[in-house]
Amino acid sequence: MHRLKLFHRVILRPMLAQPSRGLLTFVAVALGVAVVIAIDLAGFAAAGSFRSSMESLAGKASLELAGSTGIPEDTLGKLATLPIPVRFEPRVEEYITDEASGVVTSLIGIDLVAHAQRNLVLGDASGLEVLDHPRAAWVGAGLGRQPGDELRITIQDRSETLRVSGVFQEEGDQPGTNRVVVVDLPVAQALTGREGLLDRVEVEFPEDVDEAAVRAAVSAVLPAGVELRSFGARTDANRRMLGAFRWNLRILSGIALVVGAFLIYNTISVSVVRRRGEIGVLRALGVTRTGAQALFLAEAAAFGIAGGLAGAALGTLMARAAVDLLAATVNALYVTSTPGAVSLSAGHLAASLLLGLGVSLAAAFAPAREAGSIAPVEAMARGRRDYDVRVNAGRNALWGALLLATGAAFCWMPPVDGRPLFGYLATLLLILGTAMLLPLLITLLNAAAQRQVTRLFGVEGLLAARSLTGSLRRSAVLVGALSTAVAMMASVALMVGSFRQTVMVWMDNQIQADIYLRAAAPSSPDNYPPIHPDVAAALEALPEVAAVDRFRAVSLMLNGKPATLGFGDSQLMRTQGRTSFLPGQDRQAILTRLPTGPYVVVSEPFSQKHDARVGGTLQLPLPSGPMEVTILGIFNDYSNERGTVFGDAAVFAPRFPRQEITSLSVYLRDGVSLDAGRLAVEQATANRRVLVFTNRSLRAEAIRIFDQTFAITWALEAVAIFVAVMGMAGALVALVMDRRRELSLLRFLGASKPQIQRLIYFEAGLLGMLSNVVGLLLGFALALILIYVINRQSFGWTFQFHWPGALLLGALTLIYAATLASAWFPARVATRLNPIEVIHEE
Amino acid sequence: MTSRRQLLQLLSAVVGASAFGSHARAASSPWRLALPGYRYQFPRDHMAHPDFQTEWWYFTGNLRDQRDSDFGYELTFFRQARQVAPDARAAWQTGQLYLAHFALTDVAGGGFEHRERLNRPGPGLAGADASTGRVWNGNWQAQLTGDHDWRLQAVDAGFAIELDLRSAKQPVLHGENGIHQKASEAGRASHYISLTRLETAGTLTVRGRRMAVRGLSWMDHEFFTSQLGGNQVGWDWFSIQLDDGAELMIYRLRRRDGSIEPLSGGSYVHPDGRWERLRLEDFTLRTRGVWTSPRTGGVYPTAWDIGVPRLHLRLTAQPLLDHQELVSERRLGPSYWEGLMQYQGTRQGKSLSGKGYLELTGYAGDVDLSGQERGGLTR
Amino acid sequence: MLAVSKHYRSNGVDVPALRDFSHRFRAGEFVALVGRSGCGKTTLLNLAGAMDFPSQGEVWIGDACTSRLDDAGLTRLRRTRIGFIFQFFQLLPTLSVVENVELPLLLAAAPDPRAQALRSLEWVEMADFAQRMPHQLSGGQMQRVAIARALVHRPQLLLADEPIGNLDTTTGNLVLELLRRAASEQGATVLMATHSPESTSITDTIIRLRDGAVEDITQPACTV
Repeated sequence: MHRLKLFHRVILRPMLAQPSRGLLTFVAVALGVAVVIAIDLAGFAAAGSFRSSMESLAGKASLELAGSTGIPEDTLGKLATLPIPVRFEPRVEEYITDEASGVVTSLIGIDLVAHAQRNLVLGDASGLEVLDHPRAAWVGAGLGRQPGDELRITIQDRSETLRVSGVFQEEGDQPGTNRVVVVDLPVAQALTGREGLLDRVEVEFPEDVDEAAVRAAVSAVLPAGVELRSFGARTDANRRMLGAFRWNLRILSGIALVVGAFLIYNTISVSVVRRRGEIGVLRALGVTRTGAQALFLAEAAAFGIAGGLAGAALGTLMARAAVDLLAATVNALYVTSTPGAVSLSAGHLAASLLLGLGVSLAAAFAPAREAGSIAPVEAMARGRRDYDVRVNAGRNALWGALLLATGAAFCWMPPVDGRPLFGYLATLLLILGTAMLLPLLITLLNAAAQRQVTRLFGVEGLLAARSLTGSLRRSAVLVGALSTAVAMMASVALMVGSFRQTVMVWMDNQIQADIYLRAAAPSSPDNYPPIHPDVAAALEALPEVAAVDRFRAVSLMLNGKPATLGFGDSQLMRTQGRTSFLPGQDRQAILTRLPTGPYVVVSEPFSQKHDARVGGTLQLPLPSGPMEVTILGIFNDYSNERGTVFGDAAVFAPRFPRQEITSLSVYLRDGVSLDAGRLAVEQATANRRVLVFTNRSLRAEAIRIFDQTFAITWALEAVAIFVAVMGMAGALVALVMDRRRELSLLRFLGASKPQIQRLIYFEAGLLGMLSNVVGLLLGFALALILIYVINRQSFGWTFQFHWPGALLLGALTLIYAATLASAWFPARVATRLNPIEVIHEE
Repeated sequence: MTSRRQLLQLLSAVVGASAFGSHARAASSPWRLALPGYRYQFPRDHMAHPDFQTEWWYFTGNLRDQRDSDFGYELTFFRQARQVAPDARAAWQTGQLYLAHFALTDVAGGGFEHRERLNRPGPGLAGADASTGRVWNGNWQAQLTGDHDWRLQAVDAGFAIELDLRSAKQPVLHGENGIHQKASEAGRASHYISLTRLETAGTLTVRGRRMAVRGLSWMDHEFFTSQLGGNQVGWDWFSIQLDDGAELMIYRLRRRDGSIEPLSGGSYVHPDGRWERLRLEDFTLRTRGVWTSPRTGGVYPTAWDIGVPRLHLRLTAQPLLDHQELVSERRLGPSYWEGLMQYQGTRQGKSLSGKGYLELTGYAGDVDLSGQERGGLTR
Repeated sequence: MLAVSKHYRSNGVDVPALRDFSHRFRAGEFVALVGRSGCGKTTLLNLAGAMDFPSQGEVWIGDACTSRLDDAGLTRLRRTRIGFIFQFFQLLPTLSVVENVELPLLLAAAPDPRAQALRSLEWVEMADFAQRMPHQLSGGQMQRVAIARALVHRPQLLLADEPIGNLDTTTGNLVLELLRRAASEQGATVLMATHSPESTSITDTIIRLRDGAVEDITQPACTV
């Protein structure tokens, strides 16, 4: 009770008296927390949802059967009669697009007759309509259809119409998230062109049944190329893969929180500094050291809790906005994403509170300790000690240098569990180290600019510069916050800019055919909808066409990690393409040898993920049985992050039971214009749902996807910078309030109102300039870590370093302008002070 | 038979009324009717009759392990034909549907478990194959091992059976030469064959405990096309295997107005295998006690007094376990009681006892049997 | 000053701080304003310093009437004609001694501020401390620096609000002596608010205020 009263008087009342300052800090914490929560929620909805869609209608299976190109359905009959108490649940799965809404979802074929006896009831129980309507479909409530509706879908390279027989909701579904389309198994087989095949068989048995016995019994009847694995192994592998992606995003999202921490630190420091006298009095009246400390920790906690709660709410809103962007990224780089709904769980709410509280308390620790160390005598010693600086710039700098050195050393550490843990630690150490160097830096800069400042910017410049050095701690924290935001922005700009430039150059090499085609159905690195072979034949017959490369991509599991096996005409690739290999590898020789035996080339991310070397071998699980292949080379590839194994169609196509094509590259005859060629191709494929890209439009599309992929990154940077600039505004208001006596004195000494305003602008300008310069330098260092350590370790890509000059310049100018703009309000406040009242108040 | 009726109703629910109700039976029905003059031939007639629309194989039995604990089992296979447009999806076509029930009663342990399955033939998921003498639904199967002998194998979560059934008697053809009339009209009938005394030995697994068992089983095999939906509300059916080597089968159809269907009846099988037909007026049935289901609220008359004056036979029927109710977890079928029974009584003053099954339907009150145009076994 | 009145609004009630004060101060006159706290001394100083406007009446500083000037005009007036001294010295802690002193000149963009500042410091005998920071000085030294700052632009009017209120007697006397000299040597009108009776001993005029009104005006020097 007693404490509470004290808290109310010393902390709450002043805070309420000046709500704008408290508000800004609160908003900073809330935004920081919100971004972290938003990214996590959106990441879960976008990356976690492929599970909910793929695993829809799953029973409690613990094992599953899968083959890279399907399981012969006869296997199911053998399995079903095994004398073991096991259920075998056959499935045919395909990603489709609901043409009316554009929603990407899964088509799942299950044995609806057998399901009629199970707990799952698809809609009304009165009849298995499936038996009478060969195109009957049951759809998740999230698709917003009614029984009797027609459902037009894009599947592979066709449009098909289904009839909605029922709408269902699975147990545990978030309302509106289930968009799965369920059809009877043979219907799905017909729709996907996989008659006689099953994609997966879920193996379900009671807990008291020995798994080893089940495995033995099941394995005995399995044909070659069918794998018995733990249920959800692929999903788990996907999740692990996405785990790294989401982890990186989380780290990025933490920047805003770090910036927020700087601001909390600033707020609490100011709070302590301003109330030194009060604290002294309290200490004189018997408040203990810990009591005084607790007061300020409680202030921080109040910010933390309020910010955390608001952050959770705001984060949910932001997540809703971000989820589609994130889904696009997941889709482009990893697996087909069918984003689910964003909803705040109790866990996330708790996480928000903990984040807000944790960051606030950590940031407030040092200032609170200082409050505790205030001696009772200081109650009497007010006045000129207001801004007494207690920063030992030299010692801080020493620590800073130590941190920087450690950070640099961390860059040479290997990844931990596939994650660049040390790389991120290095960035954190670099940020902290730089922050600790700042006081010395500011002092030195000020000393160096001593005379120049006055000469260039007049007395206001002098006063501004002195004020910054005078309250070193505060200005160091502000510069720390803003320069961190600037540095992260700059580093990400550098990394993404380099990445983009590298990809553009790569595409110029890679995209050599004139026209490209793929099926219109949803596609992603784990899912390649086939194009009918007739299309390729029809194109070849065109007089405009010189050659057609049939490319097939198959998603498979290698060493428990998902990867893509692709094969096409490697000789066309050799003569027409310009695929580049890692330095020291002879492209011509490699491609010439590729069709001559069990040889492959692998992409750079693949070699990184699977630790594959030139000359090494791989065991490919093909439908015809495992195949050992030798790696001839490693090629540059930025098309997906999972990694690609490429071989010649002559070697691999015969090992697959049915010939499928997943994309076509068309080379036009000399003298045929691109427009004429495209027109001919489009006419020849008019009855198919295929996407036709010209060389140029494919590049544009790739760059569009690339930019979309990084949109979320930019959004995160923007929030961090916004928080920093807002913090700057708040800090400047605080600065004005704290220095109102000084500002008033200046008025007595003959300063005009414009001069006072200029003074504030100069301070903001100096802070902004310093932050930009420090931020740019730090950003360059961070970019090196991002590109050569973090990206390497988590994605395995090589970029050429590239300065996105215009982008950086623009961004820095914008930030600088924003910093100056943030001084507008404080400057107004400064001129509205009544000097008489201020100078005489005590 | 009543449980069969229930299964039929389940089937018809699944298949849809149009394929089943008698009113919908078009003149162009591709299936044969059960008419007099059929010549039975075994083991051929133990197998499927695809030219009839509906068929079932129905095994029940009372078993005893080496510690004299009593068990009962029920394993049934149903086949239901449908008219479907011929299409390319041969493996998965729904022209034949197979339904199966598997239940186990553990008297000492007080346990009763039951499961059901529905499948189409698919790639070998279910069927009745005359060439191999096998009737199966997944890993539940009945394999013909002799003229009238069977081997049953069924595995499910928590329980399993593996039994050899050796028939001590020739098949009983119920009604008139196996034509079991359901209504006065010609063809409104089924072919009804029973193996009433199958000496049984094998193993039984209950919750991981595997034990050797011996006992007696009973098999019913019916096939037919035409059934008549009527005003029946339920069915009481008794199968009784007496320790003097005789068997008794009695069924009684209850009508909505409380009266008993006149075509109700039964059969008495002498120890030497001869059998005689019983008509409704040949026996008396009186309820001695009821059991109320805590789950469905159904009040089942599970204890009875049975009299067959013509045979000087008096029996009391007592369930070996009260809760042998098959509660329908899904919405596809009604709940009913079907369980292992103990019979005690006298014939001509000489005491005798027996075991068998009793089936009681239409008591749970959750389904109005006659109100549904689903057809079924009536009259 | 002509019939100056000043009212403040406090809780919606007009509180008169100064009533009908009229006086003409001469160049080189050293005036002491005495009276209890809240009697109107500070109000008078603020009016004289062009920091505030009278509710009624006019304040003339030389040929300028404050109520006819805008903020820029008032600022110009302060830059050229008025110097302030405060009880708590009010030196800027981040500026060195000489920088503090040259501040008014810098703000006014006057030529050669450093030389003038040093001259002013010499005048208060603080030239040796020019490069020190304020917190390295004693109270008396700080007030001398403040006086140097107030006089650095040779103002016509020097306003001192309790200049020795925070100093011991010896140091206080030194400061009073400096003010006396400022009046006599530089010809500035020195208007000093004080509540210490002994500090009035060396002033030319003593104006006693009570509840915003003049109680009496004595001119000890003339009496002698």
